[in-house]
Amino acid sequence: MSEKEINKEGPGATVAAPKEVQIIELDGHGGHTLEPEWKRLPIGPDHILYSVVVGLALFPILMGDAGHHLADDMPDEDTHPFFPDHFWPYPIIAVVMLIAVGLLSAFVQKNLQLETSADPRATTIPRPDWYFLFLFQFLKLGPELIMSLVIPPVVVGAFLLFPFIDAIAGPRLAHRLGWKSWPVPGRNIITGTIFVLALVYIAFLTLWALAGPEFCLPYFTGPVCGA
Amino acid sequence: MAIPHPRDIQVAVVDWLDERYPFTKAVDEALYQRVPNFANAFYYCFGGMVFILIVFQLLTGVLLAMYYIPDATGNPAPAYNSVLFIQNDVYLGWLIRGVHFWSANLLIIMVLLHMARVYWTGSYRAPRELNWIVGVLMLLIVLFLSLTGYLLPWDTKAYFATEVTIKIAGSAPPAWLGAAIREVLQGGPVVGPPTLQRFFTLHVFVLPAVIVLLMYVHFRFIRAHGISEPL
Amino acid sequence: MTATVITGLAPILVYFWPAPPKGQKKGPINVALQTPVDQLQDGDAVKFDAPRNPNSAFIMADGGGDNAPGELAFGGFVVKNQGKVNVFAINCSHLGCSVALAKAAPGHPEASFDCPCHGSRFRLDGSVLHGPAAYPLSHLSWKQGPNPSEIEVEGIVLGF
Repeated sequence: MSEKEINKEGPGATVAAPKEVQIIELDGHGGHTLEPEWKRLPIGPDHILYSVVVGLALFPILMGDAGHHLADDMPDEDTHPFFPDHFWPYPIIAVVMLIAVGLLSAFVQKNLQLETSADPRATTIPRPDWYFLFLFQFLKLGPELIMSLVIPPVVVGAFLLFPFIDAIAGPRLAHRLGWKSWPVPGRNIITGTIFVLALVYIAFLTLWALAGPEFCLPYFTGPVCGA
Repeated sequence: MAIPHPRDIQVAVVDWLDERYPFTKAVDEALYQRVPNFANAFYYCFGGMVFILIVFQLLTGVLLAMYYIPDATGNPAPAYNSVLFIQNDVYLGWLIRGVHFWSANLLIIMVLLHMARVYWTGSYRAPRELNWIVGVLMLLIVLFLSLTGYLLPWDTKAYFATEVTIKIAGSAPPAWLGAAIREVLQGGPVVGPPTLQRFFTLHVFVLPAVIVLLMYVHFRFIRAHGISEPL
Repeated sequence: MTATVITGLAPILVYFWPAPPKGQKKGPINVALQTPVDQLQDGDAVKFDAPRNPNSAFIMADGGGDNAPGELAFGGFVVKNQGKVNVFAINCSHLGCSVALAKAAPGHPEASFDCPCHGSRFRLDGSVLHGPAAYPLSHLSWKQGPNPSEIEVEGIVLGF
C-alpha cells in the first residue's frame, strides 16, 4: 500500500496530512512510554502466584486419568491386572503386620513403659529415640550451630532435589570431563556413591550412639563417646 | 407385585449411579490397570506396607485420642496419668497403644526401605522427580510426627528429648530470632503445658491431614506414571 | 496477593505468640536450704530445687554458651569456696544438662561440678575446668532470707 491510497480511502483520510511525530521525553525514559505487558495487567506481578496456589489446591482433582504406562507397550503375558493379581498380597501383608505389632505390644512391653511424670527438676541425661540418634551423635562432632542448623537443612535440601542433582552430575558431567565412556550404564556412579556413603555414615553414627556412653572413638577434638 | 431378584436391584442401583457419574469406568480403570510382572518382586511392596502402617496409625491414633488428655499441669500431669490409664486400665488399652507405638517404629523402617527401593530402581528419575519430592516431604512429616508424638506421654525422657530439640531449633542466629522460635515452639518461657498443647495439635490435627493429602498426591502421580522399569 | 497474605497471616502469627498465663510474675522466690549458708563448709555445696507449688523457676543473672541472662533454671547450688559464697544455676553452659557436685577423691583431685552429659567440669567458683563447655556456670541473684536456712533467689512464678 502506498501513502496515496491511505490518504484516499483510509478511515483517517480527511486528517491524513502528514503530521510531525512528536517525541515526548519522559524523565529519563527515551520515548518508551509503554510499560511491559505484565506490568499493564490490572493485577500486580505477584498475582501470578494466585494461579500457583489455585493449581496446587486443585492438583489432585485436575490430575485425571492414568497416563500412558510402560505396561501398555508390553505384551500381555508380561503384565497382569492390578486387581486381583497384584492386589491380593496386600490384605495378607496387612493382617501379618497387624499380628506382628500386636505380638510386639504384648511381649515387648519394656519399650512402652513410662518413666516418672515429667519434671524439669529431674536430673537425667537426655537421649532421643533411635531414629534421631544419628543426628544426636552428629551434633557432638563439631560446632553446635553448623552441625545442627547448617548441615542438616542443606542435606535435606539436597535430598529433596536429588533427582535433579542426579541428572546433572551424571553423564552430562562425564561428557564435560571428556570421559570416553560412562562406567556403569544406567547408573550414576557419582551421586550413587555419595548417596550410599551418606546412608552408611548415618548407620555408622546410629551404631556409634547405640554403643553407649562407655564406647568412645578418637576424634580431632578428643575422644567422642556414644549416647 | 413380584419381588425383584437381588441382582436386578444391584444393577438398577449401579445404573442409577452411573447415570450421574461414571463410577464403573473410574473403578475399572483403577482396578484393572495392567501392572508389569517385574513389579511382583518383594521389594516393590514396601510402599504398600507404609500405606497399611499409616492406616494403622490413623485408626489407633483416633482410639487413643478418646482417652488421652493433653494437659501437663501439675505433677503427675493429667496427660501422664491418662497414658497410664490407657496402658493399665482401659480394656485392651495396652494393645491399642502398643500397636500405635510399634507401628510408628516399623513405619520409619518401612519408609526407609521404600526409599532405598526407589533409589535402587532409579524410580526418582524423569518424569518422576516430583513424586520423589512429595515422598521426601512425607518422610519429613513422618519424622515430625514421631518427634511430636514422643512428647505426648509427658514422662521424663519425653520432656528432656523435646527440650533438647527445641533448644537446637532455638539456637538459630541472630539471638532474638532463636529466642522467638523457642518461645513460639514452647508456648512460654520453658517447656511446659503450652508446649504439650502445641505438639498435640500438630500431632493430631495438622500433620496427619497434611500426610493424607500428600499420600493422595503420591498415588495420583503413580497412577499417571505407572511403575518404572527396573534397571 | 502480598497484602492479602500479610493481612491474613499476621493475626495468625500474633496468635501463636504465647501470652503469659494468669499468675505469672517475676520476683524473689523463697528457698529453704538443707544446710544454712552460714553453716556451709568451705569447698562444700548445697543443691536446691525451684519450688513446685507454686511452680517456679530461677532467672539466670549472667551466662554464656547455652545459658544466657534471663534464661530459666529449675535448680541451683549454694557453694562456699575460699570463704566466698556463690549461688549458681544448675545448668551446664554446654547444652544445659544438670551438673552435680563431685567431691575431691582418689582419681578426682579437685572438687568440681561435673556434667553427666558430655563431661564438662567446672571449678567451685564456676569457671571451666574441663571442656566441652566454653563458658562458666551462670550466677543467680540472691540474698539472705528471713531466717538463716532460707535464701531469696530472683525468679519467676510460672503460673502453670
